Amino acid sequence: MSKHRFPRPFLTLLLAAALALFAAASAQDHDPNAVINLATNADPTMNPWAPGAVIESNLINTILFEQLTRYSPTDLSPSPALAERWEASEDALAWTFYLRDDVLWSDGDPFDADDVAFTFNDVVKNPELGAQSANQFAAVERVEVVDQYTVRFVLNTPFSALPYYLASYAGILPAHVLSDAENPLTVASFNKQQPVSTGPYKVAEYVSGSHVRMVPNENYYGSAPKLAGIVFRIIPDTNTQVAQLLAGQLDLVGRLNPTALAGVERNPALDVMRQSQNIFYFVALNMDDERFQDVRVRQALLTAIDRQALIDALVQGYGQVATGPIAPLLAALHNPDVEQHAYDPERAKALLAEAGWTPGADGVLQKDGQPFVIDMPTASYAELTPASLLIQQFWADVGVKAELTTIEWNAYIQQVILERDYEASVAWWSMPPTPDVTPYVSCSAAHTGNNIPNYCNEELDELLAAGRRALTAEEQQDAYYALQELLAVELPYLYLWHPDIISVKRNTLQGMPEINAATAFQHSEEWYVAR
Amino acid sequence: MADLAATPPVTAPVARRRRSRFWRKVRRQPLGIAALVGIVLLALMVTVGPELYPHSPSRTAPLHTLKPPTTEHWLGTDELGRDVFARILAGGRVSLAVGLVSMLVGLLIGSLAGAAAGYFGGLTESVIMRLVDVFMAIPAFFLILVIVTSFGNHPLMVILTVGFSFWPQMARPVYAEFKKFRQSEFVEASQALGGGHLRVMLKHIFPQVLPQAIVLATLGVGWAILSEAGLSYLGLGIQPPLASWGNMLQNAQAYLWLNPMLAIYPGVFIAVTVLLFNLLGNSLRDVLDPRG
Amino acid sequence: MASYTVNRLLQGVLVLFLISLVTFFLIDLAPGGPSSLVNMESTAAEREARLKQYGLDRPAPVRYVSWLLGAVRGDLGTSINQGLPVARLLAQRMGVTLQLATYALLLTTLFGVVLGVVAAMHHNRWPDHAVSILSTIGMSVPNFWLGIVAIILFAVTLGWLPAAGSGTVGRGFDLLDRLRHAVLPAGVLAFSLMPNVVRVTRSALLEVLASDFVRTARAKGLRQRGIVWKHTFKNALVPVISILGLVTTVLLSGSVVIESVFGWAGLGRLAIDAASGRDYPVILGVTVLVGALTVLVNLLVDLLYAVADPRIRYG
Repeated sequence: MSKHRFPRPFLTLLLAAALALFAAASAQDHDPNAVINLATNADPTMNPWAPGAVIESNLINTILFEQLTRYSPTDLSPSPALAERWEASEDALAWTFYLRDDVLWSDGDPFDADDVAFTFNDVVKNPELGAQSANQFAAVERVEVVDQYTVRFVLNTPFSALPYYLASYAGILPAHVLSDAENPLTVASFNKQQPVSTGPYKVAEYVSGSHVRMVPNENYYGSAPKLAGIVFRIIPDTNTQVAQLLAGQLDLVGRLNPTALAGVERNPALDVMRQSQNIFYFVALNMDDERFQDVRVRQALLTAIDRQALIDALVQGYGQVATGPIAPLLAALHNPDVEQHAYDPERAKALLAEAGWTPGADGVLQKDGQPFVIDMPTASYAELTPASLLIQQFWADVGVKAELTTIEWNAYIQQVILERDYEASVAWWSMPPTPDVTPYVSCSAAHTGNNIPNYCNEELDELLAAGRRALTAEEQQDAYYALQELLAVELPYLYLWHPDIISVKRNTLQGMPEINAATAFQHSEEWYVAR
Repeated sequence: MADLAATPPVTAPVARRRRSRFWRKVRRQPLGIAALVGIVLLALMVTVGPELYPHSPSRTAPLHTLKPPTTEHWLGTDELGRDVFARILAGGRVSLAVGLVSMLVGLLIGSLAGAAAGYFGGLTESVIMRLVDVFMAIPAFFLILVIVTSFGNHPLMVILTVGFSFWPQMARPVYAEFKKFRQSEFVEASQALGGGHLRVMLKHIFPQVLPQAIVLATLGVGWAILSEAGLSYLGLGIQPPLASWGNMLQNAQAYLWLNPMLAIYPGVFIAVTVLLFNLLGNSLRDVLDPRG
Repeated sequence: MASYTVNRLLQGVLVLFLISLVTFFLIDLAPGGPSSLVNMESTAAEREARLKQYGLDRPAPVRYVSWLLGAVRGDLGTSINQGLPVARLLAQRMGVTLQLATYALLLTTLFGVVLGVVAAMHHNRWPDHAVSILSTIGMSVPNFWLGIVAIILFAVTLGWLPAAGSGTVGRGFDLLDRLRHAVLPAGVLAFSLMPNVVRVTRSALLEVLASDFVRTARAKGLRQRGIVWKHTFKNALVPVISILGLVTTVLLSGSVVIESVFGWAGLGRLAIDAASGRDYPVILGVTVLVGALTVLVNLLVDLLYAVADPRIRYG
């Protein structure tokens, strides 16, 4: 796809400028002996596809395991990593990726197309392994080796977001190390000890319960890493992480609770980074419940909520009101001009009246003698309970009574997410930065997949399919603008807010793209410590 | 004092002398009396208080969060704009209720088990006391953790588990007393006279065990309140929207940097309440326990 | 004594078996499942595949028996969520817990015994009352709250001591640094456990002081201090040992909440994480380990009785 190639002279110029900058940086500023300390909350599993390798492992795996693509630090579009360029076939059912030919694994073996084919065919697409986030590649039928440095992804349905998904925790595994294993996702000597990787840093030591120490990978194909080492400390408790950051024992803490910032902001040696992610918090209304099938009721329940007040109270203002599932972070495809449903309790009451809900006893609305009472389970996890409590009050103000029960997180997932045993519930989705929201709203995902509200609308499904077929920027914008308009009117979810992810780092640690954490860690070769 | 009800009916002057000795002992416990008054005041506060104090403990106000104390909101507002004092009152109702009821549960199970083991002996004794050993070897907090995780944290469940974890502690002394008195002469005598098991237990042994049980129960209330607070602190106790002093503390921990006072208030109330029960328990031990 | 020890150990094994049985079937009743398959991101197909991998598709009794057969051979299984052998996790976390327990036990014993002796020697005078009030406060204040207050005071406001963790990251073993980190959690634990030791020490001393042979010794003109240290203390040792045994078992497991407050990655944290993540083998491992430690400590206490008091003999 030629749009990924810059005109040659421009590229040369850019490279020269970048090189000059780096040279300047290394000559004066950066400390080649610096070792930085980062934190993670539990023992990591150093295999991006291992079941259960989630938040504690993601950033470590991002440094270690390079992917075919990575996010651009400016707009998060997919840019070259292990793949130099890629293109889609006319019918959008096959994507060809041209790989770099100069990549070596950290053990010295050359990287080639077989590694990519192994990662997808034998690991991700092997249903018995239950690889983490394998469902994101449901559209991929298989990966064919065209030649030593060319692979073809064969799809079963158009999937224009493929290069985005390949940049989202989709590290390539070494076939020469893992292909003989009975289960390549549970090899302890790899996952918990000495993984073989292609990234700028490699694992030197893993002490379970204590730390993972990384040193520069001398086989790395890109520019030489500028740090002498990166140490991930395993610190389960975020309060401890903050305390150690303040005491100068850590250089970066990610995903900080905004309430902890009061202690951090006063410290002049620390920089607070506010990053956006493609996450939205929502109220899911179970569409199996007849009351919520009336779109006016859904609109009324959203209009009754002052979402800015939620953001101010719950995350100290570190967030943006959501108008749909696609975050403003995806600047090129985010449609700002959709139905807003701004806070207006009177309008909410009017909408409910239109839908047949009239004032009843105790100020609770009723219809056909039935009071408007909603069973609203929530979990003691993150902001879910306080958000539910505030929403309960906003709904009470317009005559809708929510009965809140708080259950333990694990049981909550079982009951609400898996069994759909709820009427309304607050939760969130964290998505790769692509506009493709098929897994969350399509009919095919209702009652089984991630479409928690069990919402189903054929018109919406068609728009989703159009988006997945669209290959040019204009086609994509058309498709996704229309999709967002419909989503804003129909409200399969009551969109609440897009949170900011807050990270704090020591101001001497530089060279880190600030757009989001994944991108920052995909560019770890650029990190340096200023003298 | 020791054999108040077990001995044959005493003559009036002896009874009067005993009563006056009792009151003399009571008078020597100013701290205990103060504690009792304190507990009564606290109970009044959490039962009548919410009716008099004009704010609701659950009314959120996202635009008025984390406000300092004013004449309107005596202890200010919390992270969701709720009135902290109203929540202290409502939370106290829950915490005290949990403390009292779960202690009763523990007392009931423990006394029954201990009584049966001590009275009947033999196989009953072996099985029950072995069970006591098992439960003593599983640390109470672990047991509560596993049970609450398994059966959910409905308030009733929390009460039952906290009470349940208390029973082995209760069973041991009751067992010891029953075993001792079962072998004593007057029990044998009354059995010989045709007294049924239940009658013998209730009339002759139970009164012996009662003073010690009262002391253990009083101290047990404090222990149960602390357990609930600890559980809630870990997010496993009483769940919102119901307030308890324990879950107020848990919520407050995220706001240590922004508003540390939110963590101070519920902690002070827990500490004072438990202190009152412990002081009362200690005084009761001095007054009631013949060996104390 | 040997046969007594063997007998007690056999009983202990039976207790452990019952603990594992109760824990297994209790936790099996819990809704949800291991967090590596019951999470927001996984699809139904992924969950099913993992369920099979972990062997969780088998009926509960089968799983219990296979766990038990492994445990008997010394294999506690593999953590579902962490992919590490349970034994390794336990060993790692136990180090942290033992460290905290040791400091706390030392402080508890030191202050508990000293204050108990002071109270007994000044029976019914003001030092006795002061100690009694201090102990009652110690029993009443929630220790995790005391921990939070201590953090606010000593770490946040004054900045004298570290707020959390068991050591400075990036530093090798440094005793002074470890001690600085242990002061607050161990101090808080000691403050809440000390009252037990004070009470027992005080009443044991009082009892012995009132006994015949001490009165005789006094009559022979021995000085008060000499009496206490030479005769009394040795005799008061038995109840003190027993209460210290109890304190130890509480410390081995009961520091769950304090570990959370101060961010120490010990057995308590492991238990909480395993319970909320439904990591069945880890839950079983922790409860059985803590049960075993408790059984051993109790046995040790009973054997120490015999050493401390020659009149006690075990047949």
